[in-house]
Amino acid sequence: MSASTRMSSRLAAWLPRLVVAPSLLVVIVAVYLFILWTGLISVTSSKFVPTYDFVGLEQYVRLWATPRWHTAVANLFIFSALFLALSTGLGLLMAILLDQNIRAEGALRAIYLYPMALSFIVTGTAWKWIMNPGLGIQRVVNDLGWTDFRFDWITNPDMAIYTVVVAGVWQSSGFAMAIFLAGLRGIDNSVIKAAQIEGATLPLIYRQIIIPMLRPAMLSVIVLLSYIAIKSFDLVLALTNGGPGTATELPSTFMFSATFRRNQMGVGAASAVMMLMTVAAIIIPYLYSELREKNDG
Amino acid sequence: MSKFIATVLAATMLVPVAARAEGEIEVLHHWVSQSEVDALNVIRKELEAKGFTWKDSAVGGMSGANAQQALRSRLTAGNPPGAMQFLGWEGVQWAEQGVVRDLNDLAKTGGWREALAPQLLPFVTSGDAFIAAPINMHRQNWVWANKKIFDDAGIAVPKSWTELIAAGQKLQEKGIVPIAMGDEPWQIGIIFDALLSDVNGPEFYQKTAIDLDPEALGSPEMVKVFDTLREVRGLVDNNFVGRDWAVATGMVINGEAAMQFMGDWAKGEFLAKGLKPNQDFYCFATPGQVTSFQYLIDSFGMFTVKDENVQNAQTALAETIMDPKVQKGFNLIKGSIPARSDVSVDDFDDCAKLGYQERATAIEKGSMQGAMTHGFAAKPEFASVFSDVAAQFFVGTMSSEDAVKMLVSGIDNAR
Repeated sequence: MSASTRMSSRLAAWLPRLVVAPSLLVVIVAVYLFILWTGLISVTSSKFVPTYDFVGLEQYVRLWATPRWHTAVANLFIFSALFLALSTGLGLLMAILLDQNIRAEGALRAIYLYPMALSFIVTGTAWKWIMNPGLGIQRVVNDLGWTDFRFDWITNPDMAIYTVVVAGVWQSSGFAMAIFLAGLRGIDNSVIKAAQIEGATLPLIYRQIIIPMLRPAMLSVIVLLSYIAIKSFDLVLALTNGGPGTATELPSTFMFSATFRRNQMGVGAASAVMMLMTVAAIIIPYLYSELREKNDG
Repeated sequence: MSKFIATVLAATMLVPVAARAEGEIEVLHHWVSQSEVDALNVIRKELEAKGFTWKDSAVGGMSGANAQQALRSRLTAGNPPGAMQFLGWEGVQWAEQGVVRDLNDLAKTGGWREALAPQLLPFVTSGDAFIAAPINMHRQNWVWANKKIFDDAGIAVPKSWTELIAAGQKLQEKGIVPIAMGDEPWQIGIIFDALLSDVNGPEFYQKTAIDLDPEALGSPEMVKVFDTLREVRGLVDNNFVGRDWAVATGMVINGEAAMQFMGDWAKGEFLAKGLKPNQDFYCFATPGQVTSFQYLIDSFGMFTVKDENVQNAQTALAETIMDPKVQKGFNLIKGSIPARSDVSVDDFDDCAKLGYQERATAIEKGSMQGAMTHGFAAKPEFASVFSDVAAQFFVGTMSSEDAVKMLVSGIDNAR
């Protein structure tokens, strides 16, 4: 082997690493270093600016004694669970209905997918007006003659979080539909034909054959929607701005106000660490199972 | 032709030289609306007349929280702006970090301490240092009312909260929304702050909102404050969720609603429609046995810098801000009154005059106090507990006793 080919093969081995190195460095500093730093701040008495005197878990005790944080955590679970279940369910239903060789399918698909093209800010603002009892649905129905009709969830602190779910589902179920539809199109027709020859009814075919075959699509939908659910900060800000009062607070809005508006940088950091732990508790088992499957396969 | 060239040369060469000699100052602030920018131009023009350059650095949004964040990163990077707009405890907290320039020598020669109400000093001084030059003063506890609605219903300006609530119920029966407001915690906080002082007197406000005395916080008087707040809730329409304060002001202007509780920045909305105080609308203080004046001020602090040119510009800016003529010009546009107590308000509108006069009485009676909701009483970590509890109470069905319990434990948790 000549010196030049040895050089080029060495370069070929190192080039990918060299190219990746700067972005890797940025990720290490901008993500992992700051995660560590946030963890560090959460065990200090930091208030207005970072200070480095350690107080142990005091900020976590303080965090869990704050009613506003409890509201935020409860809301995150209510919102994520309902948002995931409803978006996935509705998306699947719409995909199956659209898959029945109907007319104008392309146009319908575009209509259902369209909300996804809007930003959460637009969705939030539109639904804020639609659900305002004095402007939106309630007003329209009342003016039509049903004067007893009430739809005032957005003004009721116990129900307001469900208005966020409604707006989120409206925006994202079309997206779930598109992925399921792609999955349905990928299923081999001969499988269905074979089942039909065996005498299986259509509901049975869907329940026993098609939906189980959609598992990869289901996984992508759930992963993508969970990520949308966690970053739904802007939807809440536009729709209810955390209100009425503080009823629709989410951990992300809590963290922002504690850190930047309330001089409680330590509590803010503690809440950020709690959020990271929650996400890690879901993601790590998932990653673990995915990686293990690959190794086995 | 040669004259033209000479002029061009002079323009291109002399001006930069002059600017370099006198210095440029970067001012970080969060005033971006038209009237705010117009008001700032009063300071800017005066500064430029002294030969300094004003470099504008406006970061709007989140009531100044975005500008604060910009400042934090600038300071961390060792590149602070020459001057910064401060609200509430911000200036004092930065001074405790040792990054704010002491303006004591200017304050002494200018007689600033004597020109300001003593109640302001905690926000513009830190220890012996004078750390910020206050430009204006807003009052938070105003009521803005539609005069036609009041006259048609035969209602006079209420002298107590009992009268105010009775008037509101009378209007409600006639199908008018008595109180226009939104559900944002700070809008609710404005009413809560006023009630603390109006229902139980300014000493109670001092004990709770400023001293955080546990006994006063858990007292029956506090229950009474929440009881009154519940009665106020009954006078607000059910569509108040998500309503911007300026939209609520619009409801009063259009005659859809009778009253709004809001700081004197609401006045601009009336004046912009060509309405006149006491002819088209009323402005009066929230009613209490002792009329309170809950203030907030905007001030400008200077950061410690090495560059002498910037230091000179800082001196000039601080002196400009404290110039009575500038304070008058600025506040005529901004809708507030001068921070200096010795500037005449003869050219101002009737509401400003009333505020000026009530401020003088309030200083005597000890009822001039910082507005908690805007950060001028308890530190933010405590003030936010008050606003959380008041907001949750207001929009929900919590009992006054539970709200008081929640307040006491919340304050303890934040200590």
